[in-house]
Amino acid sequence: MAALIASLRTTLSGYVRYRGREGHYAFLLHRFTGLGTLLFLAIHIVDTSFVYFYPHLYEEALNIYRWTPFMIGEILLVFAVIYHGINGFRVIYVDMVKPAAWTIKAQRKAATWTLAISIVLWLPAAGIMGYNLLHHNFGMFGG
Amino acid sequence: MTTATRRVKKFNNMESAAWKWMRYTGVLMLPLVWGHVLIQDIVVGVHAIDNAYVLQRWSNIFWQVYDILLLGFTFAHGVNGLRQVVNDFVHTQRARNILGWVFLVFWAVVTVIGAWALIAVGQANLAAQL
Repeated sequence: MAALIASLRTTLSGYVRYRGREGHYAFLLHRFTGLGTLLFLAIHIVDTSFVYFYPHLYEEALNIYRWTPFMIGEILLVFAVIYHGINGFRVIYVDMVKPAAWTIKAQRKAATWTLAISIVLWLPAAGIMGYNLLHHNFGMFGG
Repeated sequence: MTTATRRVKKFNNMESAAWKWMRYTGVLMLPLVWGHVLIQDIVVGVHAIDNAYVLQRWSNIFWQVYDILLLGFTFAHGVNGLRQVVNDFVHTQRARNILGWVFLVFWAVVTVIGAWALIAVGQANLAAQL
């Protein structure tokens, strides 16, 4: 048990104390967005299977998804999916196509661009989903 | 200036297969997952989705295959990612092996549940059309 706690501490303190700047933040964001998406995905697969197994429970699940806090979570989820995809593509491209680009200087730039592109792609999606939220849950825009 | 080539021994084991799996599925998932999120979350929206919508979607062989690929690639990518993250925190091989089996069972159970529903609904719709 002591060994397990020690190993947890070693890794976690590395997460916090490592000073890799852009690459470090990209690593943390990639893991955080990946785990968050997986948590949603596991629930989403099971609740969608209710369409076949328990149709009335699927309606219940949808009522939860339409609840305001969940719709806000969904908007964040879309950011996670966009960021994880673009950052994953950066890693794949450099690993498989252009390993010479694995330099700190180039990757600091690339990591910054990754975040910028993610935000630019996310904003219109967040706008549409925010509109839907206000329309359906708050009666705005003629809802 | 000369460039030195560093020679590294290549391994063909489970971990290198998992490494490749993350990258190959990652590329395939870009259109699959983004397409799915764009259609269901942004264009259609959760207020327009109900049982009838999903049943109609899965009665189309194209979307049935699309969702099967989505399920197969995405969840295995995700659970393997979870395993890799957890392996960074757990340092003994024994604990990693045990957790590896736990993740494998978790992946298999959820994937079977999802695939079962998807295929059963498709079969039922196909039977209804005949």
